[in-house]
Amino acid sequence: MNYVPGTASLIDDIDKKHLVLLRDGRTLIGFLRSIDQFANLVFHQTVERIHVGKKFGDIPRGIFIVRGENVVLLGEIDVEKPCDAVLQQVSIEEILEEQRLQQQTKQETEKVKLQVLKDRGLSIPKADNLDEY
Amino acid sequence: MFRFQSLDEDCTLEEEDDGLIEEEDEIDQFNDDTFGAGAIDDDWQEEHKRLAGLDKKDELTAGDDESADPRSPLDNRLSLPPLGFSSSSALQSGDVEDKVSEGGLAESLARLILEADPAVAGVGAAERPAVPSPGSTSVFPSLHGLLSQSTSVQQQQQRLSSVAPPPAPMLSYQQQQHLLRRGTAPIGQMNSHSIWENSLGFGPVSVPPGLVTHMEDSPLMSIIKEVGLPKRPPRSDEGPDLSERVPPPRSSSPVIGSPPVRAVPIGTPPKQPMSHTLNHQIHHPTAVHVRAPVQHRFPAPFPERLSPNTLLNIANSPLCRSPFPPRVGPVLSQIQRAQLLNSQVAGFPRGAPGLLPGGGGFRPFFGGHPPPHAHRMVPPPPLGPPNHTPIRHNTTILHPQHRRLLSQRLLSRGGDQSRPGLDRRSRDPYSNLMTPKEKDWVTKIQMMQLQSTDPYLDDYYYQNYYEKMEKRQEGERDSSSRKEHTTKLITPQVAKVEHTYRPVQFAGSLGKLTVSSVNNPRKMIDAVVTSRTDDEEKREKQVWNKRRQILYTVEKMYSLLLEVQDFEKRFLQVPEEERQTLLEQHKANTEQLCSALREKEWDNRVSDEQCVMIMSVRKGKRLVSRLLPFLSTPLANAVVMAIARNFPTLAKKDKQDQVLFWLVEPVSSVIQSLSSSLLTDLLQELQGSEGQLSSVLHNKFGVTLLYLILSEGERMQSSDPNCQLMDDNRWTELVFSVTRELLSVPASSLAPPLFTPPNLLSLFSRYVDRQRLELLQDKLQISALSR
Repeated sequence: MNYVPGTASLIDDIDKKHLVLLRDGRTLIGFLRSIDQFANLVFHQTVERIHVGKKFGDIPRGIFIVRGENVVLLGEIDVEKPCDAVLQQVSIEEILEEQRLQQQTKQETEKVKLQVLKDRGLSIPKADNLDEY
Repeated sequence: MFRFQSLDEDCTLEEEDDGLIEEEDEIDQFNDDTFGAGAIDDDWQEEHKRLAGLDKKDELTAGDDESADPRSPLDNRLSLPPLGFSSSSALQSGDVEDKVSEGGLAESLARLILEADPAVAGVGAAERPAVPSPGSTSVFPSLHGLLSQSTSVQQQQQRLSSVAPPPAPMLSYQQQQHLLRRGTAPIGQMNSHSIWENSLGFGPVSVPPGLVTHMEDSPLMSIIKEVGLPKRPPRSDEGPDLSERVPPPRSSSPVIGSPPVRAVPIGTPPKQPMSHTLNHQIHHPTAVHVRAPVQHRFPAPFPERLSPNTLLNIANSPLCRSPFPPRVGPVLSQIQRAQLLNSQVAGFPRGAPGLLPGGGGFRPFFGGHPPPHAHRMVPPPPLGPPNHTPIRHNTTILHPQHRRLLSQRLLSRGGDQSRPGLDRRSRDPYSNLMTPKEKDWVTKIQMMQLQSTDPYLDDYYYQNYYEKMEKRQEGERDSSSRKEHTTKLITPQVAKVEHTYRPVQFAGSLGKLTVSSVNNPRKMIDAVVTSRTDDEEKREKQVWNKRRQILYTVEKMYSLLLEVQDFEKRFLQVPEEERQTLLEQHKANTEQLCSALREKEWDNRVSDEQCVMIMSVRKGKRLVSRLLPFLSTPLANAVVMAIARNFPTLAKKDKQDQVLFWLVEPVSSVIQSLSSSLLTDLLQELQGSEGQLSSVLHNKFGVTLLYLILSEGERMQSSDPNCQLMDDNRWTELVFSVTRELLSVPASSLAPPLFTPPNLLSLFSRYVDRQRLELLQDKLQISALSR
């Protein structure tokens, strides 16, 4: 609201800590340093946070430049607000392992489901074949 | 001997230098156009010869035809020498003296060159004494030194060969990089030809003053004066950086029909704000004794932020230079300078920690070099936490009120900013990476997208919404007299300028130019539309056509109606002079609307057919409902009559849409203004032929209409005892028939009205006996209390 009252602009979000959810499902947390007219974002001291169940792990990534079209959500993080005690931080290796396991189980269930459907003569087209919109 | 090999035969050697140069210009301009900026003009054969001849070079003496450029072993591709100092023949050592070069780095480089190339050494020896050499390095002057050496060499050769040298190949990007890696500054002196002026964003260079004298007399020299430093675009006074982001300039081929070629395209980010003098001094810094190890590791050849070296040069260049008399004290105090640099330093990427050990790293510098003389060279950049930076708005876009509001808002925000946030932001060393100028730039682009010539047209709901909000706020504000705390976005208003494009035509030519562009899309085929003859008209087609015609009529009427409705608003906005025209236009519109309803043959009667046709379409009904209030009374009455008369048709056509109720309100207002006779007529029409009344009663709208009429009649009767309703028996009879119908119709098929007027009971009580009254009551669910 600083520069352009009555509109939404990212100008006021500069230099604040943000959380961004990307189209590929990644979650990045970092300081928003710069923007442009396409909402391309420059993140500083970025951390990629992977959530599996109640655990999460942070991978420090440095400086990120995110192309505007890949952003799903972007929100400011209130650093003063106390963190949720529910989530438990674990090490990177552990969370990556957990993620791998999660992916694995998901794939297996998917496979089973497809097989079952196939047996019944039905098929659900995979999402990646469809147009995104 | 430098032969300009790309010249064709007719360009003789005896040709005047100026002419020759101009030809080169032209040719090279075309070259630039054809191949785009960045095409190297070098002749590779010559290059190769030069490179190959590097090692075996003997002393350059009379009339060697072989090219003998001083080659620095440093740069294989560096080709400094052929400079085209064509006119200058005399080599005065004094002139060549490089006033700028000092420093050990320059020395060492020069030494390298001299040692490697005996030809150069021969010449260079003569010049050595001219070069001042304090024991300090300079970033830039090293190349100055090189250049001066090479120019001197070349001039010698020129004297010997008396051949006009080819234009200087420039230091290409790679060569630069090479230089960089070798530990010199990224900025090389580009004494290249004018064709490279725009390419790679080269800009003016400062020619060593010594060379100025015999450079001035040649046009080439004047061109060279404008020649490029890698960072400086010719036009801008501002700092080194993002000019790389600028796409290569478009060729200035005829712009027939093309949009104007902008020097800096719209999407270019802003340049860093740096004064000309600062830039100048950065690139021509005086010698600095570097104590701390300075890694020459730059993020890019055109760093977005000041590179460490440039910073050092900022810091130290005034030190060795003393343009002011010794008595003048430092304008920038030490602390100030430290602050200045600190703030700039803060913006550095973490990746170069060794370069700048924080602000503390600078202090030893300053401690070691107390500036006895300094002059102010940089306007203080915006320092401090973001909230206190003055906003520099692009005033062409923002409304002045907007700007005021913003600054007010900023101040108020800054005033009551919470402590922790402020501290945190001020302590964040990476804050303000995005300068206010860049923020303004992004905002400007966003505002540009909001430009509108007619805000009420483009963003009607937004405008209305804000009007309402403001009104509400005004109301609230009166209660508590606070200053207005919400700001309204005032979008830039662009004047409505009609740009009619007329394609370029030359007198005497046949036809138009065959140039098609975005502004002038050329018609490829002259297609003539011929309407088909209606020899074979199928019924369906007829119907379709008719429908289409109706829709078309409705659309046209609608747009007229919208204009009529907006008239009032526009009338208030428009200045005095134009009001009359607006009024006339309004009248014309209304007239057109009315005539659209009329029959074709007779001008004064409303055409039933037309009305029914219009109302057979959903949009038409909407149109009529909006239109009725604007019609004159007789017209409106006629329309309502038409509705009543053709009710069954309308009801049938409305079966799918069920939107006749739109008509209730306007019709009711018309009915209320009807005279008694007209009312009676209306009722009669509604009843119409046999069976019409029953269909009326089956329809919701019909019942409502009926009730409206009856209630109006009742009102008339009860209010005005002299009313003429009872003068003839028509009304009474009609009401009787209505009541009969109402009683006979089964209750289930009686459609519930939209609303029941309260005075129906009194109406019926006049005409029917008690028993029937009660029956009616039950049927119509008119409660006695609604009296």
